[in-house]
Amino acid sequence: MANVSVAAEWQLLYNRYYRKPELYPLRWKNIDLSRNKVACAPFGGPIAVIRDDSKIVQLYSESALRKLRIFTSSGVLISDTVWKNPGGRLIGMSWTEDQTLICIVQDGTVYRYNIHAELIEPNVTLGKECFEQNVVECVFWGNGVVCLTEGGLLFCIPDFKVMRPCQLAETGAEDLPNCMAVIEPKYTVSGNVEVLVGIGDRILIVDEDGVQTVEGEVVQGLVQKMVVSWDGKFLAIFTHDGRILVTDINFKGVLLEYNCESALPPEQLAWCGLDSVLLYWDDTPLLMVGPRGDPVHYFYDEPLLLIPECDGVRILSNTSLEFLQRVPDSTVSIFKIGSTSPAALLYDALDHFDRRSAKADENLRLIQKSLPEAVEACIDAAGHEFDVSRQRTLLRAASYGQAFCSNFQRDRIQEMCKTLRVLNAVRDPEIGIPLSINQYKLLTPSVLIARLVNAHCHLLALRISEYVGMNQEVVIMHWACSKITASLAIPDAALLEILLDKLKLCRGISYAAVAAHADKNGRRKLAAMLVEHEPRSSKQVPLLLSIGEEDTALMKATESGDTDLVYLVLFHIWQKKQPLEFFGMIQARPLPRDLFISYARCYKHEFLKDFFLSTGQLQEVAFLLWKESWELGKNPMASKGSPLHGPRIKLIDKAQNLFAETKEHTFESKAAEEHAKLLRIQHELEVSTKQAIFVDSSISDTIRTCIVLGNHRAAMKVKTEFKVSEKRWYWLKVFALATTRDWEALEKFSKEKRPPIGYRPFVEACVDADEKGEALKYIPKLADLRERAEAYARIGMAKEAADAASQAKDGELLGRLKLTFQQNAAASSLFDSLRDRLSFQGV
Amino acid sequence: MAQIPNLDNSPLNLKSLREQSQRDLVKILKDIRGKKCLVIEPKLGGTLSLIIQTSLLKEYGIELRHLSAESVQTDCSKVVYLVPSQRDLMKSISSHVHDDISKGLQREYYIYFVPRREIQCERILEEEKVHHLITIGEYPLYVVPLDEDILSFELDLAYKQCQVDGDTGSLWHIAKAIHKLESTFGAIPNVRAKGKASVMVADILDRMHTEEPMNSSDMALSEINTLILIDREVDMITPMCSQLTYEGLIDEFLRINNGSVELDSSIMGVQQEGKKMKVPLNSSDKLLKEIRDLNFEVVVQVLKQKATSMKQDYAEISTANQSVSELKDFVKKLNSLPEMTRHINLAQHLSTFTSKPSFLAKLDMEHTIIEASSYDICLEYIEEMIHKQEPLINVLRLLILFSVTNSGLPKKNFDYLRKALFTLRELLHSYGFEHMATLNNLEKVGWLKKQESKSNWLTVKRALQLIVEDTDTANPNDIAYVFSGYAPLSIRLVHNAVLSGWRPMEEILKLLPGPHTETKRAGITSSPSFATLQGASNGLDKIADGRRSLVLVVFVGGVTFAEIAALRFLSAREGMAYDLIIGTTKIVNGHSLVETIFERFG
Repeated sequence: MANVSVAAEWQLLYNRYYRKPELYPLRWKNIDLSRNKVACAPFGGPIAVIRDDSKIVQLYSESALRKLRIFTSSGVLISDTVWKNPGGRLIGMSWTEDQTLICIVQDGTVYRYNIHAELIEPNVTLGKECFEQNVVECVFWGNGVVCLTEGGLLFCIPDFKVMRPCQLAETGAEDLPNCMAVIEPKYTVSGNVEVLVGIGDRILIVDEDGVQTVEGEVVQGLVQKMVVSWDGKFLAIFTHDGRILVTDINFKGVLLEYNCESALPPEQLAWCGLDSVLLYWDDTPLLMVGPRGDPVHYFYDEPLLLIPECDGVRILSNTSLEFLQRVPDSTVSIFKIGSTSPAALLYDALDHFDRRSAKADENLRLIQKSLPEAVEACIDAAGHEFDVSRQRTLLRAASYGQAFCSNFQRDRIQEMCKTLRVLNAVRDPEIGIPLSINQYKLLTPSVLIARLVNAHCHLLALRISEYVGMNQEVVIMHWACSKITASLAIPDAALLEILLDKLKLCRGISYAAVAAHADKNGRRKLAAMLVEHEPRSSKQVPLLLSIGEEDTALMKATESGDTDLVYLVLFHIWQKKQPLEFFGMIQARPLPRDLFISYARCYKHEFLKDFFLSTGQLQEVAFLLWKESWELGKNPMASKGSPLHGPRIKLIDKAQNLFAETKEHTFESKAAEEHAKLLRIQHELEVSTKQAIFVDSSISDTIRTCIVLGNHRAAMKVKTEFKVSEKRWYWLKVFALATTRDWEALEKFSKEKRPPIGYRPFVEACVDADEKGEALKYIPKLADLRERAEAYARIGMAKEAADAASQAKDGELLGRLKLTFQQNAAASSLFDSLRDRLSFQGV
Repeated sequence: MAQIPNLDNSPLNLKSLREQSQRDLVKILKDIRGKKCLVIEPKLGGTLSLIIQTSLLKEYGIELRHLSAESVQTDCSKVVYLVPSQRDLMKSISSHVHDDISKGLQREYYIYFVPRREIQCERILEEEKVHHLITIGEYPLYVVPLDEDILSFELDLAYKQCQVDGDTGSLWHIAKAIHKLESTFGAIPNVRAKGKASVMVADILDRMHTEEPMNSSDMALSEINTLILIDREVDMITPMCSQLTYEGLIDEFLRINNGSVELDSSIMGVQQEGKKMKVPLNSSDKLLKEIRDLNFEVVVQVLKQKATSMKQDYAEISTANQSVSELKDFVKKLNSLPEMTRHINLAQHLSTFTSKPSFLAKLDMEHTIIEASSYDICLEYIEEMIHKQEPLINVLRLLILFSVTNSGLPKKNFDYLRKALFTLRELLHSYGFEHMATLNNLEKVGWLKKQESKSNWLTVKRALQLIVEDTDTANPNDIAYVFSGYAPLSIRLVHNAVLSGWRPMEEILKLLPGPHTETKRAGITSSPSFATLQGASNGLDKIADGRRSLVLVVFVGGVTFAEIAALRFLSAREGMAYDLIIGTTKIVNGHSLVETIFERFG
């Protein structure tokens, strides 16, 4: 059977099969791992290679200068650069999660490179102690590092995104540790980094705040090497007597123990998934140890580098890259020699079908009931395959089986095809990202796309994001920025065309962000052209300001209708320009102008006056002055002494003159003039009466006050001074006299002459004061019979009211009066009775 | 009864809106660890009482203060200001900070701006050199549900800022608020706007759509079918008239704030000297829901009837033998007793105002002005008010009504102009020259101006049948019942816009201030929006998706209770297949509108 050859490549470790398909024959030449320091990023990431300066090596025909070279996992050179960094020997080198290469040298300086071997500024240092003591060892994890100095101090960068180093607690031990391992912050209870340190025959747990010694029987004696599993739950330990132990992270229970022949610690110790541990000495075969059964040996004749992944280990040698993994259960069920599982039978059935053999049908009949499970297994197995033709065969088997299943989720095959297409695309040696399906799921498509973009594989990234239905904005944005950086030679207009052509692919993309990038690259004109296309004003306007396009910024901000944006521009220009230039810019634009005025009214009075003067709006200045005069009056200093009256009146006079400049404002001018006059008179009144009650009251109030005070001459004077109409005068005097309840004077006043507005004010004043008797003096004098009737009605004299109404021969009025009386009486009595009735509830 | 309205019966899920606002606020308070002093701007505090109970806030370790000029007295080391983005408040806050510094107090300051931080405010903080001491955040409260069918943007000053200062920030706010509603309830396919500010809001809304495109799937799901934007400027007549519905009258005489009215407790029959009490007014009150929109005359009748029937029941219960089920019914009725008492008390209190001759005279005058029958009588009446020094706002309301219906103070006849100017002079003389600024504002707003063209009022009035003779207030068949004979212009417009769009009434729209627009958003042509509304009477569409189309009517610059009553009347009428949700910058009346324009020197 054809399946035999597949399983023949597997190795059995107790009851589990392992396989190590070759991912790539490496395309690089003349790279000897033993001469170099090598850093490989997990998830099929790039490989950084630099000559190891801690080893004595023979230089052949190469330069003495060291070169940092970055390759894809398939050995294709991405970039290289000459290493000229000071700071001593390179101690540690590793990739971060976002694929930045971290290089730590002896004096504690951290150099960062991107995938294009460009140094990312600024360099960070681990601190003074590191500088003085020298770094001797670094332990990296995905997003941080712990460094050990010659003095035995531990330093840590817990997060490469923040790059803030900190020192961990001192161990207090005199010796240097034998070995270290790190538990990542995301797996510790405290959320801080914890370092396991093997010193002497103890293991310490060190974090920022303190040191703990591991208690327990599990580990005794000196520990030579430790590695934490990728999920932070287990620990592999190589002891002084050549045993390999696996315990859980809290040192409770031994899950695996194996005695290796060598007491020398292995050069590399790595987890393969979570099932087994690999040990590598450079002169013996690679050893794989599992919880039970005999270990497996792999023979190599070249140096190796183990790259742990979440579901296996990649094995890098000088010539090839392999992936050692436990054979997935679905694959085992299909390809295990002699397997009669439904999946195996289905796979076999396809083979028969292809050969037009009737056995195909027989096979299908055999597995009728478990067909869905068989299909599922084929799909799953296909996902784990690296070989495209085998993927295809497995998927065909699945699809063949599916045709006979009635209730199988049909999109499973489709989904898997989609995933595999993506995986196969990135596994292409040119791209060189050999992700397994599990790694891909853990990494997520968006991170994969970010990595592709980062490696400048924009087209592939774009196609993948389109294919898996993700927003393409990230890709296009990155492309546009990279394009700008790379296209110094292309003229603005041409480059704009190129950019727009691609940018329009993505709705809602931020043109402003691209423009900002252009500006940063010194292409201001291109930036201006780009920002024109930005639909979001809130992004467009600030950028326009930063590239000095104030006029356009003001226009765009106004168009947006967002006043906050207009203010942004206003303040910017205000600060930058001379007042006159500023005024010129806003004067013809209503919204910015009005907003400026509104702000300045509240906060910049004097500046506002300048504005109005420079734009010839004299009446506005006049209003401001007038307002100021009032504020002067509110000032407590003003009420104490009279001297401030002068300045107040002066301000009003000034305002009046300004009003008088234009014909349209004669009304205002007149009012200001009268106001000044009134203030003078009021001031005199205050002096003569020695009472500070006049200033800032109105003309009418002044007259009233005079009358209430009994100063009728003064009242008369104010009246004539301001040509108060007889009508107003009568109302004022009548009400003023009523306030003082001087009914005699009121009567006298009524008899002075026939009142020009009749006797109504007199009646009203008396009725309001609730003086029926006084009111009755005037009601009969009311000329209008209807008025008379209503007045009677108001003081509750129904009969007289009715008489007057009938005299007036006004039936409608009569009816209305009657109704009012009835209704009021009825309504109020109704309300009263209701309240009595309802009050039993206690409400 | 709670002041926070029960929103269960709302045609939109406004509850979720309110809960979101609650969560946002609680998150802000939780994120600031430890004890803190929360300083709220008083008006905003009133608004927040519609969102969350203050007692709930205290659970988060908060001392509550109102923002004032005086510095904050507290032991807390953290002071959190929750304020609207208004310039004048920044000065108070800065002075608080300076005050603390001079006293050597070290505190952490936070300012949360409602609804968003604004540069003009931060700028003042910078100039006062306190910006760096303050952590600044935002509380994005753009809309507050006042009741199950009313949304308020809480922009008291919107009209004044737009028309007097030319500051259109509030329009952006409105557009943003609507945009936010759309992101919850789906994009609104039809937009009709009338008035300058409304058209601007519609434009900004359009911009927001292009800036942040919504998914086309959202469009299909739109719960709101049509948006109608009406500018207060289009109809300044209605708010200047005295409202005659129950709720409208309460607002006119007692001022309703944030869905409740504050009264002397003695009025409500609680004997506590001089104590004020708050009476909530929202649809959680079943009786209020029944009578709030009725003409006050009718309200008195209804209350009378209810009381009489209750009295009868009581008499029966105390005399005859009753079965248990009858007793149960009676007890059920008793449950409504507190509501009855409350409204009887309120109504009685109102009737002390409405029975005054001066009130009746004012109503008379308003009608005279609306009917535009005589200049002389009107001006004379206004002049007499001035002479009597009646409250200036009352004078201005009539004066504005007069000016607006005549599109300015008449000048074709020199005599009238002289008279009008004379009136203004008399006004200054009576109330003081400081009101020059108010007059100036009134002119800027266009409420008081010299007549420049012939008034369109008569044409408009006739074409839209704004004066309805013989209105039966008890069984109304027209919205005119809310003003006892005058049908509010704004609502006539809305009614027509809902039924048939602007097109059939273009000619009349041209006579009213401001442009009008009508847009149908692209991408949703398939939805039967317009047709649904037109073919409403046959009721087929109702069955199609089981519910009525929803129209959001937004009043830019405020709406009165009387207008709300008229809208509710419309949507309750038979043959109307739409529900209405009202959005407004604020609930206003003539008084509060004029008040915002008020500006004295000093």
